[in-house]
Amino acid sequence: MRRSHEPIAWSLFGAGGMLLAFIGPGLVLTTALLPWLAAEDPQAAHAAIGALLAHPLGKLLVLACIALPLFHTLHRIYHGLHDLHLRAPRLPMQLLCYGGATLLSGVTAWWLLTSIPA
Amino acid sequence: MRKPYIQRQRADWWLRNPGYRRYMLREATALPLFLYTLLLMSGLYQFTRGEAAFLAWLELLRSPWLLALHALALAAALFHAVTWIALVPKILVIDTDRLRVSPETIKRAHQAGAVICNIGLLLLAVLLLGTAGGH
Repeated sequence: MRRSHEPIAWSLFGAGGMLLAFIGPGLVLTTALLPWLAAEDPQAAHAAIGALLAHPLGKLLVLACIALPLFHTLHRIYHGLHDLHLRAPRLPMQLLCYGGATLLSGVTAWWLLTSIPA
Repeated sequence: MRKPYIQRQRADWWLRNPGYRRYMLREATALPLFLYTLLLMSGLYQFTRGEAAFLAWLELLRSPWLLALHALALAAALFHAVTWIALVPKILVIDTDRLRVSPETIKRAHQAGAVICNIGLLLLAVLLLGTAGGH
């Protein structure tokens, strides 16, 4: 029998769902207010965010806040399209959704590891 | 020869039942949240390009379109959080001879945790960024 992708896909979906429930609304409100929060001294805000991104734990946190929601949302979109009867061949759709989430997560990790000035 | 029975389902099956509509709305929260995650990625990318690029991205966040995306994403995140935590007791079942926790307690604990984490993150951001260079 062909191995199912579901255990891995569902674990990442579940982790993303939990993360979004616990910090999603707070994160969205934070970035919505960000230009105004940083208005007084944008350079200092840039430096503060740089300090977060320079620290290994900060990198891990930011990667989690991007990669897990990607897997969560693309999992729901993949199944949602099926629910709406917008049916496409299974394999290309899985490649697009789960492959897309993997690729974008990889790009994010690459940026965090190679392109952030310490 | 095998002749499988295929249950026909209309494409608008979810429109006619309030429960199904709520289910689809819950699943639809993924769309604005996906776009929001791409916005976060774009911010990280602009950060890698240097301070000027990042500050330009910060100014871009004031645009009405991105504020609308934020409003939509906030509504989606809130609806997601409520519906997600409502389902946690179905998946996290603590019911053994040694330890029993009622589903209601599990839900309440997660709700309290989510409220604390969300408000905590917001307060942390306001404190760290709002006073980053103000004094």
